[in-house]
Amino acid sequence: MRSSSDVHLRVDHVTKRFGETAAVNDVSFEIPRGSFATLLGPSGCGKTTTLRMIAGFYDPDEGDIVLSGKRINELPAHKRGTAMVFQDYALFPHMTVKGNVSYGLRVAGVAGAERDKRVDDTLQFVGLGGLGDRWPNQLSGGQQQRVAVGRALVLQPQILLLDEPLSNLDAKLRVQLRWELRALQQRLGMTFVYVTHDQDEALSLSDWIAVMNAGKVEQAGTPWEIYYHPRTSFLADFVGAVNLVPGTVKEIRGEEVVVGFGQRAVTVRRPAGLTLATGREVHLCVRPEALALRPPSADADGVRLPGVVARRAFLGDLMRYWVTVDGREWIVDQPDPGAAADFDGPVTVAVKPERIHIIAEQ
Amino acid sequence: MRSLQREPGVLLALLAVIALVAIFIVYPQVRVILTPGSSYVDFLSAGTWRTPLLNSLQVMALSTTTAVLIGFVFAYGMVYTDMRWKPAFRLIGILPLLSPPFVVAASYILLFGPRGVITYGLFGQTISIFGLFGIWGVQTIAFFPFAYQLIADVLSRSDARMEQAARNLGAGPWTVFRTVTLPLSRPGLGAAILTTAIYVVEDFGNPALVGGQFTVLPTQAYGLISGFGDLPGAAAVSTILLSLALVLYVAKIRLDGGQSFVTVSGRASSMPRPPVPAWLSWVCFAVCAALCGMILLVYGSLVVSAFTLTFPINTAFTTSHFEYVFSGVNGVALRNTLVYGLSAALFSSLFALLAAWLVQRGQWSGRRVMDFLLIMPAAVPGLFFGIGYATAFNEQWLDWLNRGVLIIISMIFWNIPVGYQAAVAGLRQIDRSMDEAATSLGASSLRGFRDVLLPMLGGSLRVGFVTTFVRAVTTLSVVIFLFTPGTTVATIRIFQLVNDLDWGGATAFTVIDIGLAIVALSVMAIITRGRIALGASRA
Amino acid sequence: MTPVLDRRTFLKGLGVVTVAAACGGAATPSPTATTAVATASPTAAPVTGTISVYSALNQSTNDQFFAAFKAAYPGVSIDLLPLAAAGELQTRITAEKASPKADIFIGGSSEFHDPLGKAGLLEAYISPNAKDIAAQFKEATGLWTGWYTGIFGFISNNDRLTKELAGKKPATWDDLLDPAWKGKLILPSPTLTGGGYIFIATQIFRFNKDEAKAMDFMKKLHANIAQYIPTSPGALTLIDQGQFVGCPNWSHDILTEKSKGNPVDLTVPTDTGFEVGAISIVKGTKNLAAAKALVDWSITKEAGDLNVKLSNRGSTRTDVAAAPGSPSLTSVKLVNYDRQWATDNKARLLKDWQTAVGL
Repeated sequence: MRSSSDVHLRVDHVTKRFGETAAVNDVSFEIPRGSFATLLGPSGCGKTTTLRMIAGFYDPDEGDIVLSGKRINELPAHKRGTAMVFQDYALFPHMTVKGNVSYGLRVAGVAGAERDKRVDDTLQFVGLGGLGDRWPNQLSGGQQQRVAVGRALVLQPQILLLDEPLSNLDAKLRVQLRWELRALQQRLGMTFVYVTHDQDEALSLSDWIAVMNAGKVEQAGTPWEIYYHPRTSFLADFVGAVNLVPGTVKEIRGEEVVVGFGQRAVTVRRPAGLTLATGREVHLCVRPEALALRPPSADADGVRLPGVVARRAFLGDLMRYWVTVDGREWIVDQPDPGAAADFDGPVTVAVKPERIHIIAEQ
Repeated sequence: MRSLQREPGVLLALLAVIALVAIFIVYPQVRVILTPGSSYVDFLSAGTWRTPLLNSLQVMALSTTTAVLIGFVFAYGMVYTDMRWKPAFRLIGILPLLSPPFVVAASYILLFGPRGVITYGLFGQTISIFGLFGIWGVQTIAFFPFAYQLIADVLSRSDARMEQAARNLGAGPWTVFRTVTLPLSRPGLGAAILTTAIYVVEDFGNPALVGGQFTVLPTQAYGLISGFGDLPGAAAVSTILLSLALVLYVAKIRLDGGQSFVTVSGRASSMPRPPVPAWLSWVCFAVCAALCGMILLVYGSLVVSAFTLTFPINTAFTTSHFEYVFSGVNGVALRNTLVYGLSAALFSSLFALLAAWLVQRGQWSGRRVMDFLLIMPAAVPGLFFGIGYATAFNEQWLDWLNRGVLIIISMIFWNIPVGYQAAVAGLRQIDRSMDEAATSLGASSLRGFRDVLLPMLGGSLRVGFVTTFVRAVTTLSVVIFLFTPGTTVATIRIFQLVNDLDWGGATAFTVIDIGLAIVALSVMAIITRGRIALGASRA
Repeated sequence: MTPVLDRRTFLKGLGVVTVAAACGGAATPSPTATTAVATASPTAAPVTGTISVYSALNQSTNDQFFAAFKAAYPGVSIDLLPLAAAGELQTRITAEKASPKADIFIGGSSEFHDPLGKAGLLEAYISPNAKDIAAQFKEATGLWTGWYTGIFGFISNNDRLTKELAGKKPATWDDLLDPAWKGKLILPSPTLTGGGYIFIATQIFRFNKDEAKAMDFMKKLHANIAQYIPTSPGALTLIDQGQFVGCPNWSHDILTEKSKGNPVDLTVPTDTGFEVGAISIVKGTKNLAAAKALVDWSITKEAGDLNVKLSNRGSTRTDVAAAPGSPSLTSVKLVNYDRQWATDNKARLLKDWQTAVGL
């Protein structure tokens, strides 16, 4: 959690129930001004519900939503200045592109000449110059998405809310638009709150991510923190592929901990703020790209684990191996398969201890 | 509920709607039902209503089924296929709605009676048009346009992509229809069935004239007033009718509730519909043509009657029947009819839309009750609606109230149900992301309703407008207790002419009445053509 | 209004004038006949104002009838609410009792005026002209006054009667029980029309109030009846078109149909019934003087003659001649029609009838 001097949006112990179940359960976080914040999680985790509470479409049952220091729970949705980009764009079919983009300005009573100028500028900005007189059903998916974004941006909202805006686009377009959105956000210095279930998107776009699961925030932090220092195995597994090896704390030596797994043991750095006791059940968490494969008898730095290649998959930019070590399957990624050697049969899996991270669940 | 407090505009609108419904729908009915007189309870316990109730249920089952079936085929043909003569079918398809009392039903007897021009004259057969089968046939033709309009409105908003997707997955045309088109048209279908059933059950004019001995609840009620002067007894029958409507309504909710029928989600698509196989187009065409042929026969005989001395006895051509159609009180009546009809239609369709929005999109408790109250007038026979107004608003302190205005109000609220149902069905097809998009862009709920939803519901607006207009222009029973010399309408004049056995004059007047109504509707269609939004009715 | 009417009224007028001329000044055979016609020459100031008149008279009668009244009382204007359905007008007046809108209720059998009187919704008034009307034609305290009569007859389609029933017209109502009539007979619905009920009442009086015998007759008749028709005029049209062969109905209307050139004929079986058409003042009227004037005028000979001319109906005045070809109260054999009893027992008798015929 950040204690930044300029918190733009603060969600404070918010709970939302539908019937008996709590879709959002005592969620709290802060988003600094001008940052690209992402709510990441699988479907049903409560991320969209949270976003909609920020927008004002739902009322929290408990807790506060605070925007620029002011509590906005009672403020009606249309007065919050939180323009939203919807998953299926929600373009008004009976208005042209210009009509859609200018709608918010018309509602706000912005006069004709200024309105037209802002609309034209925005259309240029999102790459739709000259398409103002088209109807939504004459546009491609990507173009419709840009209209949806432009429609919200033209209002210069306090916060832009985006609800999985790219999930309906094909892969290539998704990636391309992803960069455009990020560039937009940085250029404008606007606060974005972005909801997605795609961890690639989250990692590549965000200044800050909150990963949600079953209505709670599992962990919030920078993409680096989330990826390399996950605090729960769910998190570790959700964001990227991971090796999770159960182990037991054997010994504590100051900043270092000896964890035994199977017949082996390894000395690992103790994560900050984590209290451990001997005998505690933990997980050792290692990312596949942090592992290296060596021929069985080769020399290697760090821990050496003998294993056997079970299968492998060519993923283009890397070769993924599944290696059985002590009866357990480890995932190992080898980058640049074109330049690397192929492995098969018995191998050694090498990992540097500093790449191993301890997860101790509460 | 908190959301209401935050949007005073919506709260105001809601209170206004509630007040209007309470004053103009609930209060008059309560006055009728609470007519003093012990015979109310006596009547219910005497049980003479049992046979008419059974008869009414029979009629309801039969007529509703065929009317909806034909209405569906008609709607499907108009919206999905590219069969020919669509403009003609569109016009002829609403003719049955324009049936001023007596004259049209009399035409059926003229053509198909024991010595009917068609059945006896052409085929030498003496069939009995009177009784259950006569009612069934006449009501099917009379009510299929309701079903057609409601279903066509919904079908026109169906999402071609879903149907293309199904085709793409290997489904043949019948499977696509059965698994995609039909289920997605359920809001309209449900509304069509409910509305048609209720209108069939409260229909008085047709069973009165061709029913013979076969008594249904409305004819029994009318008989109680006419023959026995028994207003409490008739009020009891009216209550039975309302209970029937309640049962139908609950059934519809059960069958219908909770599912999503969203087809307009703001993810626009210009995908055309998958083509309908040629044979299917031809089948639709055949059905539509047969139906329209029948309708033309009936209404054609009307025109022939108007231009002959005494059809079919004396078939000499004459225009004498038209001589007095526009003069004096007849002219006043025609003018009033158009003014009242158009005013009522305008306000009714808009009010229905607003009410539908408040109920379908709202989150306040009591919506279900309001929903029923807005459909309930359909179950009240015009007679009781009229009596209700005549009693409820006849107080001394209300004498300043212009009768014409009261008549318009009665027509507005008596005809809310169809426009309301069409609007609700339409709203169910429009994804809430439309509302939310408008909200997130700064529009208040009412503003979003006006700018975004209203234009997309042009088709529903039209259904409400047309239905209210035709029913306002052809009702006798609602106005019979309300009209005054200066506020007389066409149906009253027709009634007078018929009772005078001036069939020539009556048919001439009816022809002019229908003609003017068609002109009015055409003008409205032309005016609104430019304003109907994309994705609205193509039928 | 329509040319048909004009032709008819002209013919009727011609007929009346011819008959009158032919009869010369022969006095009508009624010892109590007085011809004191109250004209509009009161000793007081002329009557003015507007009255609202609920009229159940035929459309073709209304215009000329009230025009004639206006000629007699030029200061009075009439707001006419024409609705040729007395039952509806009765219900309407009842519904409006909190703030009555009508001043006069004219036309329709007394069966529709009487209940209003009993409910206290009428203003009692005994017109000076009422002395010309026999007691059986008016309400004792003046709540309503009968001014025209209608005799129940029988209409038959000439063509089909000749072909299918050897041209045999019914001389008595029992003749209609002949199986030859099966499926060819229609009757105005007793529950929905005044005429239909009067037919039932007539049978009861024919059997000297033996209800069991009368209901038995109705039950047997029911076997021959193809349909009960919701309006009396509607039934006539069906006979005009030959859809059915015969129907008991109002003589005056039957005559009118015949005069239009329809291929039908009128018979009046023996032991038949009749109605008395009434006029009454609605309580709460704001212009009592004008209302009274209309009552006074409608029971004059002038009004009676006019009504006969316009509608072929009869008059409660003995000095008004019947329309040519029309039966009159003295020319046919009537049952002893106890009007009060018929009105009071209507609901019960109709229920009994429904039970008897299984409806």
